Amino acid sequence: MGGPPYDCLVNPLGAVRLTFEKAIGSESEIPPIHPSAFNGKDWGALELFRHFLFQESGLSQVPILNPKTLRWVQPNSLVRYRGMIQDMLGNEFYAGAYKDGNLWRTNKFMDVSQYPMGSSPDMCIWERRLLYCVPVPGQSSWTEPSSEMEPNWSSQTREKRLCLPKLGCCIFQVPDDEIKNSPITKKMREDGLPSPSQSMDAKTTSSSSITSTFQSVDKDNLPCLVKIYDSPESELKLNDVFEFIGVLTFDSELAVEKDDNDELSNSFYDDALVHLPPNKVPRLHCLIHRKLAVQDFLPGSPIIEPKPHLVKETREALFRHLTAVLGNDEVAAHFVLLHLLSKVHARVDDVAVGKLSLNLTGLNKESVSVFGTRLSDTFKNLLPFTNCMPLTLEYLNTASLAPKKDYQANRLVPGILQLPEGSHLMVDETRLESGSLNSTGIENTKLLKNLIEFQKVEYDFQYYKVEMATDVQLLIFSEGKSNIVPADVIVPFQPSCLESTEMPVAEALEAWRWYLATVRSLPHSIGSEIQKVVEDDLVAARQTDRSLGSRDFSRWLTMARLISSSFGETSLSKKHWEMVKEMERLRRERLK
Amino acid sequence: MASDSSPANFNNGPSSPDDSFSSPIANTSSPAHRRRRGRRQASTPSSAAATPPPNPSRFANSASTPTPARSTRRGHRPGPATSPSPAVAATPSSTDDFSMPSSEGGEDMEEATPTFVWGTNISVQDVKNAIQMFIKHFRDPQELSNDIYGEGKYTRLIHRVLEVEGEWIDVDAHDVFNYDSDLYNKMMRYPLEVLAIFDIVLMDIVSVINPLFDKHVQVRIHNLKSSTSMRNLNPSDIEKMVSLKGMVIRCSSIIPEIREAVFRCIVCGYHSEPVVVDRGRISEPTSCLKQECLAKNSMALVHNRCRFADKQIVRLQETPDEIPEGGTPHTVSLLMHDKLVDAGKPGDRVEVTGIYRAMSVRVGPTQRTVKSLFKARTYIDCLHIKKTDKSRMTAEDPMEVDKGSQRVDDDVQFDEDKVEELKELSKQPDIYERLTRSLAPNIWELDDVKKGLLCQLFGGNALKLLSGASFRGDINILLVGDPGTSKSQLLQYIHKLAPRGIYTSGRGSSAVGLTAYVAKDPETGETVLESGALVLSDRGICCIDEFDKMSDNARSMLHEVMEQQTVSIAKAGIIASLNARTSVLACANPSGSRYNPRLSVIDNIHLPPTLLSRFDLIYLILDKADEQTDRRLAKHIVSLHFEDTEIAEHDVIDLATLTAYVSYARKNIHPKLSDEAAEELTRGYVEMRKRGNFPGSSKKVITATPRQIESLIRLSEALARIRFSETVEMRDVTEAFRLLEVAMQQSATDHSTGTIDMDLITTGVSASERMRRESVLSATRNIIMDKLQLGGPSIRLLELLDEMKKQNSSTEIHLHDLRTAVATLASEGFVVLHGDSVKRM
Repeated sequence: MGGPPYDCLVNPLGAVRLTFEKAIGSESEIPPIHPSAFNGKDWGALELFRHFLFQESGLSQVPILNPKTLRWVQPNSLVRYRGMIQDMLGNEFYAGAYKDGNLWRTNKFMDVSQYPMGSSPDMCIWERRLLYCVPVPGQSSWTEPSSEMEPNWSSQTREKRLCLPKLGCCIFQVPDDEIKNSPITKKMREDGLPSPSQSMDAKTTSSSSITSTFQSVDKDNLPCLVKIYDSPESELKLNDVFEFIGVLTFDSELAVEKDDNDELSNSFYDDALVHLPPNKVPRLHCLIHRKLAVQDFLPGSPIIEPKPHLVKETREALFRHLTAVLGNDEVAAHFVLLHLLSKVHARVDDVAVGKLSLNLTGLNKESVSVFGTRLSDTFKNLLPFTNCMPLTLEYLNTASLAPKKDYQANRLVPGILQLPEGSHLMVDETRLESGSLNSTGIENTKLLKNLIEFQKVEYDFQYYKVEMATDVQLLIFSEGKSNIVPADVIVPFQPSCLESTEMPVAEALEAWRWYLATVRSLPHSIGSEIQKVVEDDLVAARQTDRSLGSRDFSRWLTMARLISSSFGETSLSKKHWEMVKEMERLRRERLK
Repeated sequence: MASDSSPANFNNGPSSPDDSFSSPIANTSSPAHRRRRGRRQASTPSSAAATPPPNPSRFANSASTPTPARSTRRGHRPGPATSPSPAVAATPSSTDDFSMPSSEGGEDMEEATPTFVWGTNISVQDVKNAIQMFIKHFRDPQELSNDIYGEGKYTRLIHRVLEVEGEWIDVDAHDVFNYDSDLYNKMMRYPLEVLAIFDIVLMDIVSVINPLFDKHVQVRIHNLKSSTSMRNLNPSDIEKMVSLKGMVIRCSSIIPEIREAVFRCIVCGYHSEPVVVDRGRISEPTSCLKQECLAKNSMALVHNRCRFADKQIVRLQETPDEIPEGGTPHTVSLLMHDKLVDAGKPGDRVEVTGIYRAMSVRVGPTQRTVKSLFKARTYIDCLHIKKTDKSRMTAEDPMEVDKGSQRVDDDVQFDEDKVEELKELSKQPDIYERLTRSLAPNIWELDDVKKGLLCQLFGGNALKLLSGASFRGDINILLVGDPGTSKSQLLQYIHKLAPRGIYTSGRGSSAVGLTAYVAKDPETGETVLESGALVLSDRGICCIDEFDKMSDNARSMLHEVMEQQTVSIAKAGIIASLNARTSVLACANPSGSRYNPRLSVIDNIHLPPTLLSRFDLIYLILDKADEQTDRRLAKHIVSLHFEDTEIAEHDVIDLATLTAYVSYARKNIHPKLSDEAAEELTRGYVEMRKRGNFPGSSKKVITATPRQIESLIRLSEALARIRFSETVEMRDVTEAFRLLEVAMQQSATDHSTGTIDMDLITTGVSASERMRRESVLSATRNIIMDKLQLGGPSIRLLELLDEMKKQNSSTEIHLHDLRTAVATLASEGFVVLHGDSVKRM
């Protein structure tokens, strides 16, 4: 553990140690500060890192932990990890500070103490939280930051070590987004993987250990066990997407740790840890964490002021693109645009205000294969998290949609509906055939219905269920109106041409992503005058058509808000209200 | 042994009380284990020498970390065999430990005076005296008046325990606190030491009472002043006494833990002395101890001469109400010993009292590495476990609320403060209105419907006569109405509020799904009975949406349920009658999707009258084209969408309180009819019946049936319950009449006459309709008599109709009326009907 004292990147623990020693004061100091004063507190280490990361813009140099970078990052170095909190494994006690001879040492931010702590009688026990994080389900490839920074950060100390792994990464960096999912490239990458690591083995021994131990990691799915220090519980919630910056620890001895443990002791201990061997799940001792919004995924995102003309232009372009994707169906394109902008912005009793789920009807298996794929590709390019669900009978009967607690493993087994805020979910009902549902199927349909109606998913803790609020945009393709997943808006889809659209240019895509992310979070209000107009319209509408209910009104108002936002405006205008009514009229005409 | 402790010596440091082993499971020494060890050390000092002297560093701990010394002290609980001489057992053996070289002893230097609890200034003697005083002199304040000079509560308890040869006495921590709060605090902070002393004192007393009693009596503390939330357990709680509530989620199988091992030499057959477990390990003799033999590696364990104790690891999880938003439930391990094993089963809600302990875990036990991962595994050494589930509910009272698993703990709900608060609430004069307002506050109007639903929630008293006849107390309600009138929301709301509610939708429910079905286990071939929704909602409310869309077959099952409150099954070799004491709340849409006011309820919803009459209240929720209502709706929705600040509903009781209120009332309030209320009921009923007799008219309209008077009684009982009143008063009866009237006015009003007609509900045909049919019949008969010859040519129905219209121009006659009339005549044998032609016979 050498390195310059302040190299936060390569030797963050050195920095931690240094600040600790500084804070604890020298032995001669009277009275000496007892480390128990630092229980649940920071002694200045975080400040140092904050300064390094944000003031000195060190953030971009910190490698993001993913299957690719895992091959070359060093244990005990600073890494970033972006993921969703999938499970909370409770708290862990550890010996936070202990006396080594006459010196106090700390174990904070590490798994293994750096000094023998054998005979140390003085010890403080501190607490840290364990979070099990996984990559966000359905994360689009564009959100993954480019790996350009690799050369940068390696520049300081270990050029020699990194040249080979870097090569290894570069070779397989080429097959990106589009070809990524083809099985051939996948196979190629997997096959190709051992060669760089083998050559690495020859060169560097220290990095070889990590490479070989992490080989069992699923190539596309890297979970991470994050250890959180000193932060209030309410800050980190289940299903939140966070970026954790901290120390990656790894000790090869820990890898074999559990092998000789008998079943008995497993049942006693944190079973979860037994099921998460360190060679499959890297540990990250988090120094700094921040919640990620969609904007944070935009590459190189200096926050751009949403200027009205800019917003309008982007909206126009995006609308044209959606129309083209939807085979020149403008009405559908309008609704899809609003649908993409929707989010739950308030909850009153059971009502999730602001959601706008969309059901495109009139599709069959054939047309879904054309438009569904097209739309799904488009969404993947526009939204950070997209998921698809083929709603077949078999799927309903077998899939585990809700997360379920497995008490044997003491883990929350993820379900398909465990999605972070702002996810998009496409449900393809066209392939559903008649048949009978088993109990799982019934449970699953209930879950879907609850999700779309209340934006809530019941997590199964076996002895009881816990309702978790979600915010998922749902788009349903079906032949007729879907009753399993009853959406807010039903739009019969009427494409007029089948021509495929050309791929939009990268700049346009970036602008659209920015537009969707920014406009979604705009505040909104209503003036008292327009409020009166809206109310009158609602009353009048109900007087003429008694079948209109609060659901319809709710939908209209959601649409009004979204239309208004889509133009970058923060309060509803008469014009936009008229637009809502016009859209609703066009939609109703189609329904007839 | 020696080789064991040396590499692990860093483990001895902070949190491991008396263990330093690779398999920490084995070191979780139970009280019994500790006792045994204590005895051994006291009685066989020679073997104590075999163990390496404990590392002195173990004792030097800061206050925040667990002090192993204390557990060592606890380890010196006297064993049953030793003569209970606490002075010997407790102190000298610990001086043994203390006399070890302790160069780095740190701040706790009281060890020179062995009578202090280690690391503190608490004197063992003081504590002992305090405990003795407590046991001897504590008296339950409630029985203080009886007999001041009698035995104290715990002295009596000890006697009782001795009589039944029990193994423990339960000590209420509240008692300790009330008697000596200082002792209580010491016990909380240093439970290991204080409990050890407690045990010693107890054994002292036991030996005085009965010197031959050779069982060890332990103390079990329960009912602490404060209970901790699992979430808030933190390092400072280590080695403290804590009390937790939670749900058992997993129990390990029972682990036999060896306490004493006996070895036998396979060469000479020599049996060794029992070897006692020391810190989780049995030291196997490497050679035969018999002087003549001394064979190496010849000792084999004799299993059936070893002594084992039970141990079990239980995992406790937070109950749902303690989980903060966006969190997952926490869990904690419990260690159960001996009698506590299997005291809780998965799914039980329990309250445990125990000592929070931590032990260190060294990673890679095989590797003697300087690198150590240091973590503390925590668990609770369980002292006492109490089930908080109310499974002892008496089955005699059907209205008692059996808490389903989703409900909050009874104890949480009905602690004294809460009860006081609820009682306070019930005293408010407008409680009825307030509750009505609080019920589904986001649904407006429908106040009478809500009042009805409120009555349903509270329910009436069920009655079981000695003769076996029973009268249900559950109130069944049917809501009929136009689509979009928030019927379903009301249903959902009630479902959420009701104790043990089941929600089903008519279209998706089959008869067996509602009642029960017999299934054959595919593997064993056994027939099993699976409960359906109605059986599952026994003592609750079964909400059935889309009642009209239910198949007739399924609906017919409801007949039994709604009056007899049982479900009878007779198939596949199983004949059973299951209780289904459930209130039914159903809602239905009119058959023509919109209610036709010109038709009766029966015609509007295609429900058999037999079923309909079983509903106490039938509400029609009609969507009136009222601009005022529409405007309010519009306003509400606009504000919902555009204002962040929600329009505050004033004076609304929140859901939790409401649930508590209902549960409490259902459980504790059982109103009886007062005389004047009974009088009023009789009078009102007669009044209602009278209304059917129009003066000067032969027409007899039934405006009330005996079913109504039962409904009225139930309703008035429910109304009294709402007020937490034990007697049904006049005003309850008046209100019940009003509610019934409102409901009946809507549903049982004969639209052609405007009067209430129970026949509508009971037979589906109103009295006026029946009279009209009779007049048509007689007119038809007359015409046929006039026109047709006996055995003559036939006449077509349409001609007949024309003829009738000519004669009776005043009344309108439809073809189908005529057809029914002719059919009746045909059945009398008066005419013969061939297709459309009528022939007189």
